[in-house]
Amino acid sequence: MNLLANISFGAPWILLALAVLPAIWFLLRVTPPLPKRVVFPPLRLLFGLRDQEQTPAGTPWWLMLLRLIAAAALIVALAEPQIGRTLELSGKGPVLLFVDNGWTAAAGWEARKGLVREAIDIAARQDRPVVLLSTADHPDTNVLDAGAADRAARALVPRPWLAGRSAAVAALAKLHFAVRPEILWLSDGIDDGNARRTAEVLSRFGNLRLFTERSGSGPLALNGTVNTADGFETEVLRAGTGSVREGAVTAFGEQGQTLASARFRFEADRSKTTAHLALPLEMRNQTARIAITGQDSAGAVLLLDRGAPRRSVGLASGTSGEEPLLSGDYYLERALLPYADLRKGTISELLERGVSVLILSDIGRIAGADHEKVAKFVEGGGLLIRFAGERTASGTDDLVPVALRAGGRYLGSALAWASPQRLAPFPEASPFGGLGTPGDVTVSRQILAEPSVELSAHTWARLADGTPMVTAAQRGKGWIVQFHVTAGPGWSSLPLSGLYVDMLRRLLSLSAGVEPSEMAANANLPAVSVLDGFGHLEAAGAEAQPLRASQLATTEPSRSHPPGLYGAPGAERALNAANAGTVLLPFPGLGVHSAYYASRAALPLETLLLLFAALLLLADVVISLILRGYVPNLKRLTRGAGAAAALLALLQTGGARADDAFDLKAALDTRLAYVVTGVSDVDAMSKAGLVGLGTALSERTSYTPLEPVGVNIEKDDLSFFPLLYWPMDPRQKELSPVALSKIADYMRSGGTILIDTRDLTLGAVRGANNPGEQTLRRLLGNLDLPPLAPVPADHVLTKSFYLLSGFPGRWDGGTLWAQALPPGGADAGPVRGGDGVSPVIIGGNDWAAAWAVDERGHPLVDVSPGGPQQREMAIRFGINLVMYALTGNYKTDQVHVPAILERLGK
Amino acid sequence: MAHLSDSAESLAASLPPLMVRAEHLASSVTLGMHGRRKAGIGQSFWQYHHYRPGDPATAIDWRQSAKSEHLYVREREWEAAQSVWLWRDGSPSMRYASGRETKLERASLLALALGVLLVRGGERIALYGEHEAPANSRLAYRRIGYALAERAPADDAVPPDAPLPKNAQFVWFGDFLAPLEDIERAIRRLTRVNAGGRLVHVIDPAEEDFPYLGRTRFEAVKGPENQTLGRAESVAGEYRARFRAHGEAVALLARKLGWNYTAHRIDRPPQTALVALYADLSGGHRMAG
Repeated sequence: MNLLANISFGAPWILLALAVLPAIWFLLRVTPPLPKRVVFPPLRLLFGLRDQEQTPAGTPWWLMLLRLIAAAALIVALAEPQIGRTLELSGKGPVLLFVDNGWTAAAGWEARKGLVREAIDIAARQDRPVVLLSTADHPDTNVLDAGAADRAARALVPRPWLAGRSAAVAALAKLHFAVRPEILWLSDGIDDGNARRTAEVLSRFGNLRLFTERSGSGPLALNGTVNTADGFETEVLRAGTGSVREGAVTAFGEQGQTLASARFRFEADRSKTTAHLALPLEMRNQTARIAITGQDSAGAVLLLDRGAPRRSVGLASGTSGEEPLLSGDYYLERALLPYADLRKGTISELLERGVSVLILSDIGRIAGADHEKVAKFVEGGGLLIRFAGERTASGTDDLVPVALRAGGRYLGSALAWASPQRLAPFPEASPFGGLGTPGDVTVSRQILAEPSVELSAHTWARLADGTPMVTAAQRGKGWIVQFHVTAGPGWSSLPLSGLYVDMLRRLLSLSAGVEPSEMAANANLPAVSVLDGFGHLEAAGAEAQPLRASQLATTEPSRSHPPGLYGAPGAERALNAANAGTVLLPFPGLGVHSAYYASRAALPLETLLLLFAALLLLADVVISLILRGYVPNLKRLTRGAGAAAALLALLQTGGARADDAFDLKAALDTRLAYVVTGVSDVDAMSKAGLVGLGTALSERTSYTPLEPVGVNIEKDDLSFFPLLYWPMDPRQKELSPVALSKIADYMRSGGTILIDTRDLTLGAVRGANNPGEQTLRRLLGNLDLPPLAPVPADHVLTKSFYLLSGFPGRWDGGTLWAQALPPGGADAGPVRGGDGVSPVIIGGNDWAAAWAVDERGHPLVDVSPGGPQQREMAIRFGINLVMYALTGNYKTDQVHVPAILERLGK
Repeated sequence: MAHLSDSAESLAASLPPLMVRAEHLASSVTLGMHGRRKAGIGQSFWQYHHYRPGDPATAIDWRQSAKSEHLYVREREWEAAQSVWLWRDGSPSMRYASGRETKLERASLLALALGVLLVRGGERIALYGEHEAPANSRLAYRRIGYALAERAPADDAVPPDAPLPKNAQFVWFGDFLAPLEDIERAIRRLTRVNAGGRLVHVIDPAEEDFPYLGRTRFEAVKGPENQTLGRAESVAGEYRARFRAHGEAVALLARKLGWNYTAHRIDRPPQTALVALYADLSGGHRMAG
């Protein structure tokens, strides 16, 4: 009923035409269809018979109904019906569409689009001007006519940034209308802090109507993600609190493949929740973005930095057995574990396992063979990070960025002049650029570099007095980074600060092949690809401007900085539509007339109805043809068309009667029958064969079979047929268990099946590899067959009508199998036959082909190798077989008649 | 003699297919009856005579022949007073077929096959309306076959007024769609010369089953008459009853005048009808004799 209530019409007055339906009914009634014409000899007997509906009738009522429905569908279609709530615009003034088209509107965009289209349609029909203000775009206050409004509406898309209503509200000031405008605010339901003011301004400006999402279907956003030891923790936001809401987030790879998905659930009165995506490390590195399933908006997509993949880091330490809180290993482990796959061991072990970052904590000299391996590792692109320590202070090898002085420098100890040093801000060109330097990080001991000209170029971090704290140098394709302090808190408080973690993370992305200059804070990152409002990545347009790396974290997405991937290909940094600072606040009570969006846009029914009417009329044509007697032609036409056949079957009830007709036909006369294999050429050959055999039988014997019938093993009753001819064909379908049990019953109750494996017709070989035999095994493998034996020379089959020595068909040779006979002793008669008829006879000479005749009685197929003689023998075998099947062991007894007579004579 | 064999040969050369079918039909029927031939049980046996060239091989009595050196042919009782007159309706309605075979063809086939059987059984046969006298020879039925198959059928629905000897047997093959009065008049005229008779009602399945649906215009085989039915299926029951009643009326008429009636649907094998007809005719014989 709800559906009916939602139907509305664009041109309702056309519905008046429905009033002519009774007239159509009347016209159809008085015009009977053309009769089909038949010649009928006992015409005289028909005179005086009156069928009740002689004059007005003709057309059956259901056909009338069909035509009337078609006519009604046509009329209704012309009235432009559509399903869905229709908008009604009051007043006569211009129409102002105030559309929030930030990403928060993207998820329900279809409904908004439908509403905009509808409003513009109505405005066009009532000749009212339209203003289309979209809050996420530059405010455009042009007054549009119908065509321009339509074009503008088509161009309206959600933007991947948040709507800015204040600019749009300010732009309203430019508009002046003589009549109070009708304002539709298609809102996203999110309060950007200006909602109340916007509502006030708008309701002052005109008659405001507000559209919002239904509660529970507002926008969702992905706030950020944390890389945990076994996956991602993703935070999901919604506007307001409301009731329980569930959903799923999915992690996608570079090529858009789904890597993992997880469910989330907002508890009632919560606006935040987390989803845990369990992903193994390798998969996590492939993750390009995480998105909320079913929310097509930029805010529901979280792009991941390309630099973010977890590296496999090897950690080798010169010291061991220290207290954990003092050991450098402990701090490195804690700092790296969330971001990297950490392995520990000796240098050679680690290199063998293929780490991409090698961290050496206080190893002064890399010994022997390891030294060469490490050198090779760095040359090949590896990242070597070395931390200083007691051993380093006593001298190092050559795998260091700058020459180091032995010894070291103590700051702030009891006897030292200098106090512990703080960190200087990182140089702009350093990969640590942009990281803040907390004031509480102090260094109390360090090793010193030999002063040189290049030293400052190699320095990535300094102490406040200018001495290098981190130096680095490129060697081959790789980098060597030297921390001039220990990995643990022994020499400095750096490992205790968050900066330590950030610095290590930056270094990890160095191992991805990124140039340090690109990581520098002042590097300009161009937009590579940006998200559209629906959260799909596309190539960046001209409007997207480069972003400084240091600004990335603080930039709010906007037209000039749309969310997307920025930076050098391969190491893009992500700017997301929603970030940690994003809050989605629902509208406060605005006190304006508001409504919900329809759950879907209005659906025009015109095309559907026209199609429906056309189909009905087509059906009418077909049915009329049938009623006028064009059935035979039609049958030929629609033999393949299952749909039409189904329609006919629906209209012509009486499938059960067809079965009865088959049974009657089969039961009233003794007929030859063949199994319908479903393969048309095989079935045609079986039929032609049995027709030929039937002709021979009626010419030579007193049995005159009528036309042979094809038997569908699955459906038909087999019990009427004394003999079934069954050719094997590999294309035949499997039998159902029902059919198998029917065959078993048939054989048990005295029927005989001649199974023809058609050896040489199907394949060049006889025997087990022949397709016919394989088919036989496939179809009847589960059947309980009696023990079979080759038909012996004294079998009754060889004597039941003709005396035969072989059983040729189209081919000659092969073995004919039948139920094994009881063993015959020396005193057995001239003929052996079992008690009854063998239920199954199996051979492979393709008899049907030898028997087959065309309509004029000429043979269809050449027999090989014997010519007419062989065909005659094949026919004789057929006659013997039919006699055997019909008379059973009567013929066996006949052979014994002389002996019996002789005994009687005595 | 030479002239006769010449004409026989020319006749055989142009042996109409009808003849072949009829002979075959007749032989299949006799084959079917051969098992019943047993010594001493009620046959109208007359005498044995020596086999002469020209006697059919099937007429040889092998058991008798085996007792001596000669071949014997069993001869039946010769009832010279009687002859069987065949007449087949050739009216336009007989030329109708809903399937492949027309009623006319089936009637001709049955008539001729019965003729063959009767000749083999020693009867004299003739085609009513022809000028040939009844004869008991292969030539007799060949002539009949020729007349039935090769000559255009006459349009008469009832036997024309032609001379008929007394005490003849008359077999009328037709569809009996002519008005009952015409049929009665014809039979009465035939019984005036004391002819015994038999009506063989040849029925097309469509005539009996009336398998028509929907709006249908039924037209006469010949002539402008027609009848349009809005829904043919709605009168099917009534029609079938009428058709049955018509058949019964014909049968009743036959019985009233001392004749027999058999119905034969042409979708049934002709053997059945032929066997019944032949057995019935010989039975009628015995009663008459």
